[in-house]
Amino acid sequence: MNRDRAALLLYLIAVLAATLIHDPVWLAAGLGLALLASGRAAAGILRRALLAVLAFNLAISLSYAVMAWLQDFSPWQTLIRLNLRVLLLTVLSFLFIARANLFRALDFSQGLTYVLGLAYSQALIFRRAHEDFRLALDSRSLRRPRLIDRYRASAAATAWFIEKSLHAATQSAQALRSRGFFND
Amino acid sequence: MTDIRYRPIGADAPAVLQLTDVQHRYGSSVGNAAGNPAEVLRDINLTLRAGEKSVLLGCNGSGKSTLLKILNGLIAPTAGRVSYQNEEITPARLKEPGLHRRFRGEVALLFQNPDAMLFNPTVFDEIAFGPRQLELPDIEARVRHWAELVGVDTHLRRPPFGLSGGEKQKVCLAALLALEPKVLLLDEPSAALDPRSTGWLIDFLADLPVTTLTSTHNLGLAPELGSRALVLGEDHRLIYDGPIQALLGDMDKLAAANLVHTHRHRHGDIEHRHTHVHDWQ
Repeated sequence: MNRDRAALLLYLIAVLAATLIHDPVWLAAGLGLALLASGRAAAGILRRALLAVLAFNLAISLSYAVMAWLQDFSPWQTLIRLNLRVLLLTVLSFLFIARANLFRALDFSQGLTYVLGLAYSQALIFRRAHEDFRLALDSRSLRRPRLIDRYRASAAATAWFIEKSLHAATQSAQALRSRGFFND
Repeated sequence: MTDIRYRPIGADAPAVLQLTDVQHRYGSSVGNAAGNPAEVLRDINLTLRAGEKSVLLGCNGSGKSTLLKILNGLIAPTAGRVSYQNEEITPARLKEPGLHRRFRGEVALLFQNPDAMLFNPTVFDEIAFGPRQLELPDIEARVRHWAELVGVDTHLRRPPFGLSGGEKQKVCLAALLALEPKVLLLDEPSAALDPRSTGWLIDFLADLPVTTLTSTHNLGLAPELGSRALVLGEDHRLIYDGPIQALLGDMDKLAAANLVHTHRHRHGDIEHRHTHVHDWQ
């Protein structure tokens, strides 16, 4: 077994464990362990993970807190568990991506490598497009863009990404069908 | 009508934009899968002079878009110096409100993907976006003037998202020109255009009294877009800087930049291979 495949196996075991453990103390210990394993990159990985889960965790936590208040029960245990688990899973994913080569980890399966190749190329295209949207707004801004301009630019970019994602998904499905992956 | 394309630009014309020993490499932020950081520009030295119409040539991935973004101050090069009218342009200096406003108002970049530039509710708002930031007094007249000139005046109340690729490109151009920039950088402006719109664009750019640098990998268009050619090689270095006509006669140089190809031809019973540039010969 190569190093990357071992990392994938370890990652999958860690993800499974994180979903089965319910005690916040153990989840916090797992998060600490994951950050310890990240070494010097720990601060960067934690920052990216926090940013990635911020909107999701905030929305879920607020909704749950409101429900708990209306039904008169204490939400804290659940909220701590939920936030820790989502953060731990995200940190584990970022750590795995930073440390392992996913292509080498999946090279035992031609099908998985092909699907990964498709997903990866789409991600690169979208990353470049996202950068272009950001730079275009910078380029056209003679002063700090107003909040409304930022919202509009984000909305335009989101609409573009959705349209392109649908188009890319259709193309990928057709390509897979053309190469005999589906027979439906 | 003045044919600005072929007006000779002497070395005495003032330098507008200048790159000195510029290098650039993109870092990898997607982990091991992406491999090592990629070098996209090496040892770039060039000066764009006022009034010049230049063409930036290079095959896909040679670094044309990155070079234009560096010239527009959007990306800071890993090494080297960028200057505009003899003032160094760095991310820190661009934070100075005076320089930022002047530079962004005078140096405009048309992105390859026009969708990246469009976000306002109507075409009118899109063209007015720049002038409104400068609080110019003649916004309505200015928008109508540029919309008419590029041929989108009938779409002023429409959202830009529903327009065709060519119309979007025109709206972007009008939006940039509404600020009357001194330098216009264009990244593959004909990539999404049909032949009629491409013809329109060539004529339109030829008549614009601004310094332009247009990137393309289409040799057929190159001599129509400028008289000076800058060629980025596959090794990401500037391998040619000179008259476009001399470049078009230098097959070795064009082949080195991967701008021409060879393939089999059949002339009656004879089949042979030779270097070919179908789109301009």
